[in-house]
Order: sequence, then C-alpha cells, then structure tokens
Amino acid sequence: MRVLIRGGRVIDPSRGLDAVRDVAIDGGIIRAISEHIEERGHEIIDASNCVVAPGFIDMHVHLREPGQTHKETIATGTAAAVAGGFTAVACMPNTTPAIDTPAVIAEIAQRVAQAGMARVYPIGAITRGREGKQLAPYHELAAAGAVAFSDDGNTVENVRVLRNAALYSRDVRGPFISHCLDDELHGDAVMNEGMQSAILGLPASPRLAEDVIVARDVLVAADTRKAWHIAHVSTATSLDIIRWARSRSTTLTCEVTPHHLLLHDDLFIDYHARAKVAPPLRGENDSAALRAGVRDGTIDVFATDHAPHTLEEKAQLLSIAPVGFSGLEIAVGAYAHALPDLPLTRFITLISTRPAQILGVEGGTLAVGARADVTIFGERPWTVDARAFYSKGKNTPFDGSKFGRRVIATVVGGRLAYHVDRGIIEPLAYA
Amino acid sequence: MCQSPTGSMQTRPSSTRSLLDIDDLSRDEIASVIRRSGEFRTKLPDRSLLAGVPVLNLFFEASTRTATSFTLAEQRVGADVISFAPGTSSLGKGETIADTAITLRAIGVRVIVVRHNESGFPRRLAESFDGHVVNAGDGTRAHPTQALLDLATLHAEFGRFEGLRVAIVGDILHSRVARSNIVGMKMLGIDVTLVGPPTLLPDDFAQDGVRIERDFDAVLPRVDAVMMLRVQRERIAASLLPALADYTIGYQLGTQRLRLLPKGAVILHPGPYNRGVELTDEALADPRSRYEAQVTNGVYIRMAALDLLVNGLAVGA
Repeated sequence: MRVLIRGGRVIDPSRGLDAVRDVAIDGGIIRAISEHIEERGHEIIDASNCVVAPGFIDMHVHLREPGQTHKETIATGTAAAVAGGFTAVACMPNTTPAIDTPAVIAEIAQRVAQAGMARVYPIGAITRGREGKQLAPYHELAAAGAVAFSDDGNTVENVRVLRNAALYSRDVRGPFISHCLDDELHGDAVMNEGMQSAILGLPASPRLAEDVIVARDVLVAADTRKAWHIAHVSTATSLDIIRWARSRSTTLTCEVTPHHLLLHDDLFIDYHARAKVAPPLRGENDSAALRAGVRDGTIDVFATDHAPHTLEEKAQLLSIAPVGFSGLEIAVGAYAHALPDLPLTRFITLISTRPAQILGVEGGTLAVGARADVTIFGERPWTVDARAFYSKGKNTPFDGSKFGRRVIATVVGGRLAYHVDRGIIEPLAYA
Repeated sequence: MCQSPTGSMQTRPSSTRSLLDIDDLSRDEIASVIRRSGEFRTKLPDRSLLAGVPVLNLFFEASTRTATSFTLAEQRVGADVISFAPGTSSLGKGETIADTAITLRAIGVRVIVVRHNESGFPRRLAESFDGHVVNAGDGTRAHPTQALLDLATLHAEFGRFEGLRVAIVGDILHSRVARSNIVGMKMLGIDVTLVGPPTLLPDDFAQDGVRIERDFDAVLPRVDAVMMLRVQRERIAASLLPALADYTIGYQLGTQRLRLLPKGAVILHPGPYNRGVELTDEALADPRSRYEAQVTNGVYIRMAALDLLVNGLAVGA
C-alpha cells in the first residue's frame, strides 16, 4: 500500500524539520520527504493547510481489557486513539487480572493483532496484583513487551517495597510511572480540598496528598537511580518538587493531562461525577503553574489518562461513581486550547517525540526509513460531542466544549486508519 | 468553557419548586416563612393547606427529631403522609436515582422530604423528580429547615437580622447545619464568626462576610447569639481531635465562658447535644438557652415551608 501525504507543513522535532513537504509511504515505511513527489499509484491524503507530524503517542491510557470490557476494549480504545490522532498508546495495568504476568501481555498482544487500530504498548505492574506488597516479575514482563511499570490507580504505599522494586528493576528497560496520592490523606475524597469543597460539603483531597508522594518518589528515584516518570502532575507544589529533582537527575520525567491544564474544582455544584478524577481537578493557581511548566520545559509529556467508564457508572452517586473519563478523542483540541501559543514543535515533542524516548519505543520521528506512523492535524473548529466518541466511555467534562485544533488524519504503519471526513477507515470486524 | 447546570433555583410559582438549601428561597420568602410560622404558632391552621397532597418522608439516615417534626408538620397542614426509611444507600446503586424519582412520581407522590448521608443526594433527586423535594439534611451539605428554624428563633428574640452578630462554634467541617446557617445568615446581613480548631474548621471556610476566629473567649463578649455544634466521638478515631476533654478546654461553653456571654445574648444548639462536651449542664439550663424554642419552632417552620413550596406565597405576603 502506497500513500502520499501531499502539501502539508511537515514538522519533525527529531530532525529539526519544519517545511512544506510531500511525504511518500510504501510498505509501511516512510520512503521520501521532499518538496514534490510524483504520484505513482499512491493513495493521496491532502494535507494542505495542515501539519504533518510523527504519530502521536499517549503514554497513559486505560484500555480496560482484559476483564472490564463493558468500559472499553482494545478495539474501541484503539479506535478512539486513532480518532484522537494517536498512532500508539501505552496501556495501564489496572485490568482484571492486572498486567503482572507475561500471559496477560500475550493476551493483550493477541487482541491487538485481531482488533487493534493503533499500536499498544503494555505497562506492567510494579507489584503483583497492584497490591503494593510483592514485586512483579520485571524481567519477564519486559521480555514479553512491557515498556514501563506502574501500579497506576494505586500508590505503592510501602516505601521499602517501592525502593526494592526500583533497585531490583534498575537495569530493566522501562521507567517506573508513579501515581502519587497518599491513601490516608486522600481517603474517600471525591474532589479537591479547598473553598469549593468547604462550600459544597464534599469529602476532599488536599494537594498535600499528591505532593508528599511526589516528594517521596523523586527521592526514591534518586536513591535507586531508576528511570522514573511522574504521572498526571496536578499541583503547583508537585511541579516545584519535580523542578528541584530534575536539577539533580536527567532520568526523571513527568506528564500533564488536558483536564488538569484546563479545568478546576468548580465543576461539582450539581453533585454529578462527570468531573470526578484522581488526582482531582485543582484550582486556577495550579492549572496556571502547569501551563507554565509546559512552557518552561519542566513537563515532558502530554498524556490523557484516558479512563473510560460507562454512563451508568458515572451517573451513580458521587461517592460511588468511579474516577476518570475519556481523554483520547479530546486531547489535541484541549492541549491547543490550554496552550494556544505553544510552538508546534514543542507541542509535537510533548505528544510524540518525548513519549517515544521515555518508553524506548519506535516512533516520534518522520525520518526516511522509519515506520510510517503519522498524524495530520489542522486548525479546524469543532465541538466535543461525547456521544459520538469511538470509545465506550462517552463521558467527559469537556462535552460541548469548542476547540480549534483537530485531527485530520491518522496513519498507522503506512495505512490510513482515520480521516476526519471518513471516520475510522477499516470497518471494525469486532463491532 | 464547560457549562454546569446552575442548580435547582426555579422561577416561582412552579409545580416543581424544591428546597434544597436555604438560598432556594429569596430574602422575602425567608421572612414570609418565618412570619407564617409565627402565625401558625399562635393559631394552628385548619388541615386544608396541603389537604390530600401525598408527601413522602424518605429518610435514608436515621433521624428522630427531624423526622418527627416533619411528620407532625405535614399532618397539621393536612397532607397524606407516607414514611419510608430505606436504609443507607439502597438507592442509587441498582436502580438509578432518576428511575427512583420517576417511579415515586408515578405512584403519585408530590412532595419528597429526603434525608441522606451523601451531600447532594436531594439535588440529584430533584433533577429527575417532577414534584417538590425538601431537603431534611444531606451529608455535610445542607439542612435548610434547621437554618430556617434557627433564624426564626433569632427573629423572635431580636426582631431583626441585619447587623446581628452570631458565632457558630465547633465541628463546622462536618456540619450541614453550619453550612445552611452560613448561607442564610449571609443573605440576611448577619455577621457570622466561625470558631473551632483547624482540623474541624479549615481556613478554606473564610469567605466574604464570614470570619474565622480560634479564640472562643475573645469572641463571646461580642456576640448576640452563639450556636454550639455537636462534636462526635468518631472525630477522635479520625485523628481530628485528641480527646473530648481536650476539646472542651478550647471550645466548650461552660461556667467561665457563660460569664463572658452578654446578658442579652442567646445560646442555640441544633441538637442532639452532648452534655459535658460542647456545652455543660449549666449552659443548657442557662436562661439564655433557646434549645426548646428551636425545636418547637421547627414544626411551624416546616409547615410554613411546605405551604410556600406547594401553594406559593400567601396573598398579601
């Protein structure tokens, strides 16, 4: 299959390229990038007035398979990924069972081969069953394809266990990705602690619940010299702690979500759970600090924490409803909305080049000879409609938001997987 | 960018007007409810105000005083009263809140008086219920009829609201009574001071028109009323308090502090009180204590609130 992406502004931070070019793809590989390429039996993708970038990678996604397929499947989750411009996602291990054995990774790989629209990189658990007690088999998991390790959704509360896990796995490829919320401080919170929670009378989680664990984990990272990535940073203080730690270590990285960049703890006045998430939405000082952290380079990666749940689950009482919501299909619009002045090269670095580097996977580049994972986007105003998501999780606090930037087309391994005018290209055999 | 519904405020008159917190009423309506409650106290109305209106008392959380008070109030305005105590959280899990609301309406219920241990439950119920929802206390969120009866008690005492100085003392964080009173008192121009230890009264409670003080003794001489909130033993296990005895040193209303309270001031307590914890026997027996008046006013206030919601403002009000 030959594809010609015609007339787009090609931006590849990995090679310092930013120019209008044609991109020729054949056999799943980028064959040529130049000012004009003759069409010879190519499928043409018109990219005029659009940006052509290395495929986006979301390194924090919950695909829910195996075990929670009422919320999402590898099929629907990767369809949502390509619709959101992502050619690859890394999936978190809080499945049922958890991703703590090579067998679960093999099962995921099989499902991806059958029904995957995007590449899927499994993240192994740090502890067996994500219970925070016994170490997961890192060598086995890495050999089976795990690209990182995390107990995401849980904090490894026992620092001895965490330190030993990091020491033992120091030479295993793949960073630890830590979810930072102190269990005792967080308690049964449904939102951020502050003036809003005081008024609303809702159980609340103080910023300190995140900050103390971020501080602990950057110290454990420094002590063990394990490559470390802090997931979904949400407070100004956590970011300051990361700045301090980064001045002493180059293997510490962090990510920010669209919702923490844009939304605040004022979304609970109707006592619905649509904005319930962990860590919780904070205040304006925090989101401003996070945006500044993106601009000044403290934040390495954009990641959505795509956490789909059914509408029925999210419609439950605030105390019962699960945390999280869909993120893949709003990401590109939301990031641009949060940071309209961010140079495109930086945007692409955060959403493609850096995630590839941190996970140690192919991608993040449009070099000739590289795998043809390409995302095409443009400035084309649109309105979020959660009901139209490919994800089974048709819930987002961004529902109804108007965004400017939109994904135009997603090419995975040289194959057009999504086009804004055509939707998902291949009929989904599993639908 | 992200719109949220602005709440349950409905234009009146409406067949689905609800009382979820005290600010669902205007200042004039609060005054009207208090005035009506006084009239009812002088002379009970005949039982025609809500004659034949099916009212459901739906108490998910145990209650003696509030449930009894509501039931008597409902009977005195002639409603058809049904009471049901489903136990905590049996709704909202299997059947959705919306389904429950639709079912109850289909049965014929027009007014639901609801108490639930989760903040916001009445609001969620009101969203889907084609009728009136009266909040009889939700989680740590609101207890509007309690605030109304507290305000009625103050009005009976002082004949005004504007400029009154009220201190609310104790476990503000877990108090729906405090939250509703703060909202109502601010609306009416009452000067509110909150007193308590930082674990039970976080700094986040400071807002326009609401002051936080940690020194109870310094506050007492300057107030027209002091509202003592119940402190529960479970706060010790939650490491919010070392011991009740320790709490009393800073925040109990007892012999010494009664001397600091002005002669013309009153002592309020939403009950049930813990003798010897937030206040002593002496404080309860003090002539300035209005606990019984509060409880008595509760019935008349609830009659007046039900009348307002179902029938609108009385002619000439």
